[in-house]
Amino acid sequence: MLFSSVGFLFRFLPVFMLIYLIIPAKYRNIVLLVGSLIFYGVGEPSFVLLLVFSVTVNYGLSRYMFWEPRSPQQNRAKKRARRKKVALVTSLAIDFGFLFVFKYWDFAAGTVNGLAGREIVPVLMLTLPLGISFYTFQMVSYQVDCYRGTQQEPADFVLFAAYVSMFPQLIAGPIVRYDEVADKMKSRKIRIRNIENGLKLFTAGLGLKVLLANQIGTLWNTIMTAGAGNLHIAVAWLGAIAYSFQIYFDFWGYSVMAMGLGKMLGFRIPRNFDNPYISRSVSEFWRRWHMTLGRWFREYVYFPLGGSRKGKFRTIGNLFVVWAFTGLWHGADWNFLLWGLTFFVILTVEKNSYGGKIEGTKVIGHVYTLILIPVTWVIFAITDIRQLIAYLGNMLGIHRSTVMVGTQQLIRYLQEYWVLLIACILFVTPLPGKMYHKYRDRWFMVLVLLVIFWFSVHEIMVGSNNPFLYFRF
Amino acid sequence: MSKKKKTREKDKRKKQKKRDWRELIYNCPYMLAVGMTSLVMIIYSDEIGIRAVVREAETAIVQVMGMNISTQEIALEQTADQMVKDAADLENQSMREQMAEDNAGICKGENDEIQSGNELNKDVEAEENQGNTDKRVKGVTKFEIYEPQETDSRYYSDAGKVALTTEYPYSMESDSYFNDAAFLGDSRTLGISDYAGLDAADFYCDSGMTIFKLLEPEGVTYQKTGNKEDLSQVLQQKKYGKIYIMLGMNELGYGNTDMYLEQYRKVVDQIREWQPGSIIYIMANLHVSKEKNNAETEFNNININDKNAASAQLANGTDIFYLDANPLFTDEEGFLNAELTFDGVHLYAQHYDAWRQFLMEHAVEPDGQETAADANMAQQVQQENVTGQSAEQITE
Repeated sequence: MLFSSVGFLFRFLPVFMLIYLIIPAKYRNIVLLVGSLIFYGVGEPSFVLLLVFSVTVNYGLSRYMFWEPRSPQQNRAKKRARRKKVALVTSLAIDFGFLFVFKYWDFAAGTVNGLAGREIVPVLMLTLPLGISFYTFQMVSYQVDCYRGTQQEPADFVLFAAYVSMFPQLIAGPIVRYDEVADKMKSRKIRIRNIENGLKLFTAGLGLKVLLANQIGTLWNTIMTAGAGNLHIAVAWLGAIAYSFQIYFDFWGYSVMAMGLGKMLGFRIPRNFDNPYISRSVSEFWRRWHMTLGRWFREYVYFPLGGSRKGKFRTIGNLFVVWAFTGLWHGADWNFLLWGLTFFVILTVEKNSYGGKIEGTKVIGHVYTLILIPVTWVIFAITDIRQLIAYLGNMLGIHRSTVMVGTQQLIRYLQEYWVLLIACILFVTPLPGKMYHKYRDRWFMVLVLLVIFWFSVHEIMVGSNNPFLYFRF
Repeated sequence: MSKKKKTREKDKRKKQKKRDWRELIYNCPYMLAVGMTSLVMIIYSDEIGIRAVVREAETAIVQVMGMNISTQEIALEQTADQMVKDAADLENQSMREQMAEDNAGICKGENDEIQSGNELNKDVEAEENQGNTDKRVKGVTKFEIYEPQETDSRYYSDAGKVALTTEYPYSMESDSYFNDAAFLGDSRTLGISDYAGLDAADFYCDSGMTIFKLLEPEGVTYQKTGNKEDLSQVLQQKKYGKIYIMLGMNELGYGNTDMYLEQYRKVVDQIREWQPGSIIYIMANLHVSKEKNNAETEFNNININDKNAASAQLANGTDIFYLDANPLFTDEEGFLNAELTFDGVHLYAQHYDAWRQFLMEHAVEPDGQETAADANMAQQVQQENVTGQSAEQITE
């Protein structure tokens, strides 16, 4: 189930909230768990079993880490350390094993078969379970925290299961650490003001997703429909900018909706985006973009590898590993790996040369970032390598064939999209966020948000009634 | 005293309660606003609320019931299936025969006429000769017939047939053929406008255009100026020799195929009335790619074939023709070739050239020119026949 669907907005959410509020506080986690499983199961009826299995096995293994045999033993500490290690390695193998089979098997098999020139490894063609990349990372973070001792006592099963499967962040993050929600998991107060503000935040996120991301996405789609390789340099850049807007508002909108829902339920879900497009360097961009993912890789991959404390070469090696995996986490294809490694190159260069200086500049830093970021998004967006090269060529003004989408189409696109483009530019700045927080409690804000809510619902209805109107052929 | 105290406490409690309610309203105006409006929508809206749930439940129940029936009456249904199949086979056969007859009949009938006009004996050679030279042969739109699958959609059913390009001795024309051509359609026509290089033709098209909206006063965009035009006025004022229509993609999830056909017929009749001498081309909707094809939504090639077969019925072979460019772009299974498209629906810009080529190869001379050409032809034929006759006489 998606947040931006009628089923969620008018069926699941009201019924769930009603039960959640009426039920005594001690049953809330069970309601949250069951509700989340229903939320997941409606869209993925078979994969809900996979989720339940993963959660149960992980929980068992985490309990095993804390398990102490009754009888007095020699080498207690040593044995405990061994148990912990066994449990951690097993859980990592299972979690990443599932992720690998469902997400990366076909990619790996295709590569191996391609190299061999015949089919050695069968291609499975499995559907990717929704949200598996996100909940796997959450479970892994919990296991590692238990292993390290940052998580000092085992959580209750219901608490752990509810933490992993909590519907606000199950499908598209943010990737929450257990200690961030542990206190609220145990006991939380439902305040009417939190529900109110959570709902407002949710509406804002819904608007970002439906009214900005979905709309500007059609421009990118239109341009790609004409085909990479046929584009005038300006059209190619317009497409890259449109896609940059689309992916940002889509993801940011989803994160804001998750934050809003979390607030309604009495949690504090961490912020995932901090106006990334106003960054002055690509390093800064990654400190502001998908912050919980960056944090995960830093804490569970980069630091364990030694971070930057083991000399220049090891640092570069560690960064390489982190960015290769960051790329592949986003998708199982060569372009995602290339995308991650592009950041590896840019960040390494920045770190070792002009990074600090450029962040101090007022104009150059912004221009530099705003030129590079759309290029990286194009690498992210186009899976077919030949088309990717053609598109990047177009962005540089290089054409192998005649330009078919020229200034005439450019003018038409601008005529059609200029209002939306200006709105997108506006919402990339911190201004709307500031305005929102300043006037959140004013009466007129109620009206503004109400309009956004129903306008979004209207757009969703139009799209779901006629899925083609959403694309408009 | 104690009584007074008690009443005071009661009052306090009452006030507290009142304040609680007021605070609730002051504290969550937005929640109440969304809640109340949602409640109204849930009760009254057909799409969001109770009615939608009831409707979904009903269809679910019907499906379950249907499944029960099918399990109970498998044997019966199978025999019924067989019968239907047989009937369909028979029908197919008879249809084919009928079509063949029609085809032959048309040729024969016209030939007879001409022959009697020329006062010639029924000569096989002459007949063939005339079949080749006579431009007034009536085109025939044939259907490739297959066994339809069961579908579960309110928007379409499996027609069990694929419409093929009207069979007709088309001529090959050059770019100038399109000087007096108008193209009416949706985003794929927009693609032809943008990328096929038919600059002489007039394009009236918009993304999302449907056969239902085509002649509405708010109109479609005239691509040469970028202005919205009212087609019902344009087509009454301007005269076009050829009119190409390609619509149907945005109708896949709207109404049903019967409604679509009915509206298509209306539009074609209307255009015929406004443009009496023109050739109308009904262009087939291109199939979608395998990736895009989804049997669970309305978005699949069965639905597209259903719509295409419906609109192809309107082709009469004299001044309305059905053109199917699908063979240019689809694979053996009928899916749009994945290498030709980004979204599984639209062709990349560079492939519209093939489409243009296809249109040039499938050109029909409009009536006015035809009659002029015909006159010449008739004379020629007469002469040939005369010489033929004389030759025969000589040999005899």
